[in-house]
Amino acid sequence: MQGFDQQSSRADPLMTARKVSKSFGSTRALNSADLTLRPGEVVGLLGANGAGKSTLSRIVSGHIAPTGGEIMFGGTPLTLGSARDALGRGIALVAQETSLAPDLSVLENIFLPHLATPGRLSFAKLRLRASELLRGLGHEHVLPLDAEVRVLSAAQRQLVEIAKALALDARLVIFDEPTASLSSTEVDRLFDIMTRLKDDGRALAFVSHRLEEVFAITDRVTILREGNTIIEDVATGTLTQGDIIHAMVGRDIGTIHRPRTVTAADIGETVFEVRNLRALPHVRDMSFSVRAGEILGLGGLVGAGRSEAMEAIWGLRPRQSGVIQVRGKAVPLRRPADAVHAGLGFVAEDRRAQSIVPDLSVRENLMLAVMGKHRSFGHGYGRRAEKVAALVAGLGLPADRLDTSMMAYSGGMQQKIIIARWLLTDPDILILDEPTKGVDIGTRASIYRLLQDAADAGLAVIVISSDFEELLGLAERIVVVSDGVTIADLPAARLTEEKLTLLAAPRTSTLRNQALLRRLADEHGCDATWTLIDGEETICLAQSGPPLSGLRPGIAALAHETSIPTAIRTRGAAYAEDETRHTLLTQMTDRRGHDLGWIGLTFNADTPLPMADTIRSEVAALTRAQENAT
Amino acid sequence: MTDSTAPTRANPLIGILRSLEFRMFCLALILGILLSLSSPFFLTERNIFNILDQSVVIGIVAVGMTFVILTGGIDLSVGAVFGLTGIVLAQSLQIMPIPLAIPLAIAAGATIGLLSGVLVAAFGLAPFVVTLGIMAIARSLSFIFSGQRSISGLPPDLDAIVYSTFLGIPANVLFLIALYILAWAYLTYTKGGRTIYAVGSNMEAAQAAGLSTMFYSILPYVISGALAAVAVTFSLAQVMSADPMAGNGLELDAIAAVVIGGASLFGGRGSIVGTLLGVLIMVMIRNGLNLMGVSPFWQGTAIGTIIILALLAERLVNWRAARR
Repeated sequence: MQGFDQQSSRADPLMTARKVSKSFGSTRALNSADLTLRPGEVVGLLGANGAGKSTLSRIVSGHIAPTGGEIMFGGTPLTLGSARDALGRGIALVAQETSLAPDLSVLENIFLPHLATPGRLSFAKLRLRASELLRGLGHEHVLPLDAEVRVLSAAQRQLVEIAKALALDARLVIFDEPTASLSSTEVDRLFDIMTRLKDDGRALAFVSHRLEEVFAITDRVTILREGNTIIEDVATGTLTQGDIIHAMVGRDIGTIHRPRTVTAADIGETVFEVRNLRALPHVRDMSFSVRAGEILGLGGLVGAGRSEAMEAIWGLRPRQSGVIQVRGKAVPLRRPADAVHAGLGFVAEDRRAQSIVPDLSVRENLMLAVMGKHRSFGHGYGRRAEKVAALVAGLGLPADRLDTSMMAYSGGMQQKIIIARWLLTDPDILILDEPTKGVDIGTRASIYRLLQDAADAGLAVIVISSDFEELLGLAERIVVVSDGVTIADLPAARLTEEKLTLLAAPRTSTLRNQALLRRLADEHGCDATWTLIDGEETICLAQSGPPLSGLRPGIAALAHETSIPTAIRTRGAAYAEDETRHTLLTQMTDRRGHDLGWIGLTFNADTPLPMADTIRSEVAALTRAQENAT
Repeated sequence: MTDSTAPTRANPLIGILRSLEFRMFCLALILGILLSLSSPFFLTERNIFNILDQSVVIGIVAVGMTFVILTGGIDLSVGAVFGLTGIVLAQSLQIMPIPLAIPLAIAAGATIGLLSGVLVAAFGLAPFVVTLGIMAIARSLSFIFSGQRSISGLPPDLDAIVYSTFLGIPANVLFLIALYILAWAYLTYTKGGRTIYAVGSNMEAAQAAGLSTMFYSILPYVISGALAAVAVTFSLAQVMSADPMAGNGLELDAIAAVVIGGASLFGGRGSIVGTLLGVLIMVMIRNGLNLMGVSPFWQGTAIGTIIILALLAERLVNWRAARR
């Protein structure tokens, strides 16, 4: 009698999975998972790490076979022998790590499954078909068909994957954490594409950790916990963030960020300072410093050059210039061993490639950096057994499992082990690059605690994160990096995710806005500024001309701390007066009406004032031009 | 998907039973039983010493090869270096005493290894290609230094390093045992040994952890070159003549022994105990086939089959483990 209930307007399910289970030997990855996907809907598939989301996606897309349960597809039972079978039936998986052939062209990759069909292929026809597909996605000109896939960005590769799925006319597309390595603009574009696919009547599943994105794109939500479906096919709009987290973890975890109470007395002297670091092509001019007991966040978009800067400091990339000081003394860090000896620790971004030694045991992985730091002939494991035992107990890792393989543990535990590897060396400074990437929410909280405890004990911590919520919750101070340049250094308390996103905005707008400021300052002989304003709070992003406004780039100030408090408070259509100064503030917005900050012109009383309308239309013209360019 | 379940508690006995070395040990045992059943001479004391004696040269070279393969490299030049350092030793013995000539030959072997190591580790060249080049050079030089003929007339005292005995065990076998104990202890208990494993398993991680990856990437090639010279010293002491073609194909025997012993050619996995078993398995097959009167031309087929079967068995075991 389903036809009479409230869901009567929805299409019949394209795919239903009932009581699907999957065991890997004695490990039960899926116990009883249900999933329903309908044409014209996006279903968010959620769950903590290890809940079975990826296993379920891989079963539905034919990559692995289920142990039990039933899957119906288009009204008939679905049995898949391989991913090829699934593609043949119209089921595609767009995975986190793409399955493209890097040496082949975009065109060849899109039609890779077709290459296996017998007969001659007409490349001219394929080319036509590919342009058509990309046009349908609204990306005809973004993707050169003859480019080798290896030169593409993560977002472009994903586009190729999607086009590949469409070339087979996939009716069901599963996106497995598609946004993990995308910038916010790229995420917007992906969501545009997903909306188009949905409107086309395809069924989509969206696997993600990021709740904001789930709310933005999905119609329904299915939540897994420990291999079981907890919530199935519920309208996204009826759930709150709290509901979802509760269903995912099975308990209220409250806020995962336990605020750290830090007083001035807890923060010591500056232990680490980097000035004018240049490591082309990614790092152009970066400066920052961190004090003992302080957690410093490096915020910015993926690809802003933060990871590259850390690798350059660590001696893994060549530096062109820059001064690196540890406790006030310049240290020449030429290779990682130099940095280790100088008292630094570095948890790199890519755990598998840069940190884990897969053939060594957990114990040996823990001891690796200690072995690098201390000169000795023996490996010295015995001498440090006590310290290892104490540290391991704190990680929640049973001491009798130290001799097992690293690869047997979840990403979260591996990350804790790698952090412990560096804590064992007694560093003064610990640098962590995306420390919670691929780590479930529960383990995240314990990593935060681990870092906060270490900072409480006097360690200077530098955290790089593209998760701004995490950065704001963890760090006391945030240095914002945009396109290889440090552009602001602010207390975290003054920032919100929105402000941070604006500060980290990519170069095209920054350069254009700076050019605009220079032009306005020259033309009118005034002080031109670009400032984010929220009530009394201001953060200046760029400034040109004589310093009349009291706003300085990269500095946060309250209105009364500047020379133009009246102007900041009123922000009217006409000039505002502050003693001898006249100021006009014009807001910039993007096409969705998001605040991009205020362009301010401050004049001395004796300078002639240009028409306010002229300035406003000039600023508006610039933002429109930017929209078209991106 | 990451597996959230923790692994089961490690039981040391089960660990040993599950280890690759144990399976190789069983293989060697089965092989020994089969051969002793098919030939009454196989298990005689004389033949056992014979097997150990035949293991000396390949066994010594295989130690160096293990070090190189653990870092993810390969040394194709050991056979040619064996030949060249043999000529260097024989020529030196014409003009200087034994205690000077032997270190000189070993130093020559180490130097050639250093060259390979630097080209591989510092210049980032592919080990396969570098050592292939060194192999050609070394073989060519051994013809030039020898005048294209075997060099005989070596001092008779030289055979003392083979034929003197201690507790009834010949010196060369004693040396082999000592070398394996030393290499095992080095690879298991020292910083250098663990670094070699780490370099082969994940070079980037080892470097980022502050280990001296460059040094420990070069060292194995130096050891391999030096041990090739040590091996030729024992060989010369037995045959009392140096042939410029000596050691032809020795590199393949050494690689085979290491691979049968369970080492991964990608580096990071393997052990000195495994290599020893690999050496013994290979020598036993040769010896057994000889005793049974099988044409020596069949030996290659037998050894090749064993290598492939060993790898196949390992792959099947790994598949099963991966599916668990």
